Amino acid sequence: MASNKNREILIKTGWTALKVALVAVVVIVFTSKANNYYFTIVNSALIYVIAALSLSLLLGMGGMMSFATVTFMGIGAYATANLSKVLHVPTSLSILLAVLISALIAFLIAILLTRLKGSYFAFASIGLAQISYAIFLNFKPLTGGPNGFSNVPKLIIAGIEFDNLKKWFYLLLIIVFLAALSLERIRRTTLGRSLAAIRDNEIAAQSLGIDIYSTKIITFVIASVYGSIAGALIAHMNTYLSAYLFTFDISVSFLIMVMLGGVNSTTGAILGALLVTLIPEWFRVLQSYMKLIYGISIVALMIFMPSGLTGIIDSIKYKVDMEKKKKRNKDYSNG
Amino acid sequence: MDEVILSIQNVNKSFGGIKPTDNVSFNVKRGEIVGLIGPNGAGKSTLLNLISGIISPDSGSIFLNNVDISRMPAYRRSRMGIGRTFQDPQFLLRSKPIENMLLGADLANKNRYMQSYLGLSEDKFTMKFAELLEISGLNVDMSLRINDLPYGQRKILEIVRALLGNPQILLMDEPAAGINIVETEMIVKLINYAISEQKIGVLLVEHHMDLVMSICNWIEVLSSGTIIANGVPEDVSKNPSVIEAYLGRKSDVIS
Repeated sequence: MASNKNREILIKTGWTALKVALVAVVVIVFTSKANNYYFTIVNSALIYVIAALSLSLLLGMGGMMSFATVTFMGIGAYATANLSKVLHVPTSLSILLAVLISALIAFLIAILLTRLKGSYFAFASIGLAQISYAIFLNFKPLTGGPNGFSNVPKLIIAGIEFDNLKKWFYLLLIIVFLAALSLERIRRTTLGRSLAAIRDNEIAAQSLGIDIYSTKIITFVIASVYGSIAGALIAHMNTYLSAYLFTFDISVSFLIMVMLGGVNSTTGAILGALLVTLIPEWFRVLQSYMKLIYGISIVALMIFMPSGLTGIIDSIKYKVDMEKKKKRNKDYSNG
Repeated sequence: MDEVILSIQNVNKSFGGIKPTDNVSFNVKRGEIVGLIGPNGAGKSTLLNLISGIISPDSGSIFLNNVDISRMPAYRRSRMGIGRTFQDPQFLLRSKPIENMLLGADLANKNRYMQSYLGLSEDKFTMKFAELLEISGLNVDMSLRINDLPYGQRKILEIVRALLGNPQILLMDEPAAGINIVETEMIVKLINYAISEQKIGVLLVEHHMDLVMSICNWIEVLSSGTIIANGVPEDVSKNPSVIEAYLGRKSDVIS
């Protein structure tokens, strides 16, 4: 038993070491070869990873289909832009304040929105995304209206100015890592388990002392934090904001990212976000068909791989494990 | 040990013209197993739902340790000590047994969110879980997902999870339905442990008469929403109105 456990731990650390090494190799090769064009694409992919993690929390863990991720990205982005440019708040502080503002707004919205279930919640979130887009596009004093919001100050953290995309790339890697880590942690806590219980059966969840309403509100607020961080980072990286960054279409692409990678998996959200952002760059010819392809791929994903890429890998792994166990039991009973 | 844990007083509930709970009153004392029996459609499940708070009564009151809980939401009732198992066990189907058992431990843990984020207090849980498994004598393959476990094992695990939540009273909806004799014995061992060591009360809904008659201290018989008889098992099993409710009246025409 003990040796078995040791072996398990050894295998696990081996796997983790391999993954880390793989990521490190990719990062090193990438940074040595890449020009600004690649950094632009990869950096925006990394920011979308954070937004996809936000949806992964809501949809994967909590079963809440939300299209309002862009709303909180926009709130985060415009809040930090206004704070730092108009009120001259230091950028690292303005991002924090923007996240707080977004969380507060998310809390107020969640009080109403989380009363709705299933597709009603989804519809309400679509409405929210459309309303917020209209505001971002038309409310000139805060968003610059159709002209957009330009000259957002550059990000400065602890005296380091993030003035080129390479620096941003490293910063985003760290933030994505921390975001993924915290999401994985949430999955293994009371909150994560409560959410999963609500998703699977609300009556059983209540009889285990789980307050459905407040759990959903907390989750919605945490998801908005991830979203607003993504938005605030976009603001300071691009130094220019336009309402077109926060349209309903972008929310739909988050949905595809999460579904492609695997709804209930952190790795899946990361993988999905990277694939969905990077693949269109390789097929630029098809750009005008992108919406059509998105639509078809959502339908196809739902039919053929509802649990996404990581879901398929997991179920293969699980089956192999079970086969091995059966074989071992057979050997044991024979000999 | 005569302390009343759960007291149901004149509870009524109707759905349109149907009245599944009609002026029902009874008590469950600490350390006591009360059997709730009755033919199909007698209103047993409705009564469990009324106690656990899935639905609330039209009139009447339910007291837990002398606190009126009849208007509280279900999650607060379970935090106050109403544990429950379902006829069809309810789990996070895609997860392993341990994660499902942690849901029970979460219920017992008062500082739920912060403590679990910091990763504290899992050792205590593991010990308690191992102890309960040992008492039942159940051997579970922890590497399997819960929906790949045999049905009987799932039913036992659901009771274990409810006990991990440190309930004051456990409501059990047909724990012995659809499982074999060995597994039924495991369930009896768990119930007996809960009664003697955790000092809780148990309200048992069950169709398996041998089981009810052998482990219950007191039986309430429900038929068409009303209590038609109660008493110790020996008396109830001889009561003519109980036999009538289950088997029907002897017809004069045929005899």
